[in-house]
Amino acid sequence: MTQHVVECQGVSRTYQDDAVPVHALRDVDFAVDSGEFVSLAGPSGSGKSTLLHVIGGLDRPNAGAITVDGEDINALGDSELADLRLNKIGFVFQAYNLIPVLSAQENVEFIMQLQGIDAAERGDRALGTLDSLGMRDLADRRPGEMSGGQQQRVAIARAIVTNPVLLLADEPSANLDTGTTGELLELLKRLNKERGVTILTATHDPMVMGYASRQVHLRDGEIVSE
Amino acid sequence: MPLKLLLQLSWRNLWRHRRRNGIMVLAIALAVTGVMLMNTLMRGMAAEMREAAIDNLTGHIKVIHPGYMADPGIGRGFEPEQGWEQALADVPVAGWAQRVRVPAVIMSERETRGVQLVGVDPAQETISFLGSLSVDGEALSGAEDRRIIVGATLAEQLETSVGRRLVIMTQGADGLNREAGYRIAGTYDADSNALEKVFVFTGAQTVARLLESPAVTEVSLRLESDDDIPLALAELGAVFEDLDVKAWQDLEPQVASMVLVADFGLYIMYFVIMGALVFGLVNALVTAVMERVRELGMLRALGMRPRSVVAQVVVESTLVMTAGVVAGLALAVVCYLPFSGGIDLSAFSETMQMMGVRNIFTPRLEVADMVIVFVLSLVLGVLASLYPARRAVKVTPLDAMRR
Repeated sequence: MTQHVVECQGVSRTYQDDAVPVHALRDVDFAVDSGEFVSLAGPSGSGKSTLLHVIGGLDRPNAGAITVDGEDINALGDSELADLRLNKIGFVFQAYNLIPVLSAQENVEFIMQLQGIDAAERGDRALGTLDSLGMRDLADRRPGEMSGGQQQRVAIARAIVTNPVLLLADEPSANLDTGTTGELLELLKRLNKERGVTILTATHDPMVMGYASRQVHLRDGEIVSE
Repeated sequence: MPLKLLLQLSWRNLWRHRRRNGIMVLAIALAVTGVMLMNTLMRGMAAEMREAAIDNLTGHIKVIHPGYMADPGIGRGFEPEQGWEQALADVPVAGWAQRVRVPAVIMSERETRGVQLVGVDPAQETISFLGSLSVDGEALSGAEDRRIIVGATLAEQLETSVGRRLVIMTQGADGLNREAGYRIAGTYDADSNALEKVFVFTGAQTVARLLESPAVTEVSLRLESDDDIPLALAELGAVFEDLDVKAWQDLEPQVASMVLVADFGLYIMYFVIMGALVFGLVNALVTAVMERVRELGMLRALGMRPRSVVAQVVVESTLVMTAGVVAGLALAVVCYLPFSGGIDLSAFSETMQMMGVRNIFTPRLEVADMVIVFVLSLVLGVLASLYPARRAVKVTPLDAMRR
């Protein structure tokens, strides 16, 4: 039996926008199996990013249950959620979100430093991961000295270097041109195929959807098709 | 979060906003320099006043008749037992002196003045300003000397000079007036004109003959240190049971108050000046934190715990404060060194003497005060950063990254 890395049951999330309730997610049931490359698709406001955020522990649902690698997210406090994100989830953000004062290698090492991995192992793993993404030559550069595509590769290196059980990517191609997006998607697919990384991405880019092994479409906070 | 990573991130973040942090460091440095320099003046003034008070015939401890302060005169004298000083074997004593001090009137051919006639044994007066006086003419040769020395200012007022005679009138032990003529052996030049006007010195035996009494009015002791005062008070209290044994703080309460004010002055000045500065620091930190709230949210999204974010803001604030305080202390030392040998205030001598400060005023920079300022500043830096840090972690990672 395939194990669910992510399991959502009856998840709802409602925001208050000027006292008007906005139902971002409505009673969503959803699961991701280990080794899958799933794309959450849909127009703006469909709830795909919200679903990604509640799964990643960046937001809390109003109702429903979410487990990530068997852990009930609702039962975790802020610090425990931080530990879950640190040890089990890799994030790739739309705006790269690298730490501007650290070099590419230091950015990749950052999460390992938080995990308490020793310097020698950190260095080896960071350089090895950057090398596998074709970024070794830029290891000493800071984010401000790299292109958007290069920064996104560093962000991916940072996300996968600790071998998380789940890689969450929120609109990873939003700030990239078509050529760079293609390279990025090839990279994600390779990671999924060769290293078995479970990937869940939220996107409205058809190119990204095409690379996923499963597409989940949302509209008005509900899953409309899989 | 590992300390090394915390320091690395904080250090590099500080360099991202060099101008803002540089101005903050400069403001802190100037404030600390101001506090320290004002403190050196206050410490110096307090020390001068204390030294002057002890030098001016008070000593660290004085033994007097209980009624002497209210009614000074030979009627309030006493005769110490021989060998009383042996009771102080356990106390480090720099020296002691027995004196007869009575109010008197001194007259020249032209002028009359009220003075304090002090009979001394010059050999014992190494403990007072008398021991280091600059005398024009001759100093007293011993307790038997029948000449007098007067202050240069008094001599000027009396329109007299060395070698001439003056008449001194005072009250004897029997309550009857006594008067005698004395030749001026020399005139002395003290740091304070007030001393020169008040004290007229002669041999202790000379005064005893004038007053027809072998009594003394005071025994003054100079100790090696203020710390020895309590022990000496206890020992002397046992020897002179019926007399008052008083420390200089009781004899010169105004000076003692000034020394106390100087001790607290550092804290008062520090909190007034740095307290105002802290509002600026908090404001700058809030601005810096809110500018980086998105970045701090991202760090939390990646798995940094809220307390690590707080720690990062606190460390950054503390680094700014430390840099400012170290620079301020260094600047204070640089400004202090040229004046460490003393400042000549003879141009303002009247005013300074009223305050009990001598013509050469020596500021004092105490290492202990520098340590206090450094530690207080670190505490203040941490406290100032707590509010901005709390604001930083109040925003959820998601809200922060949406900004």
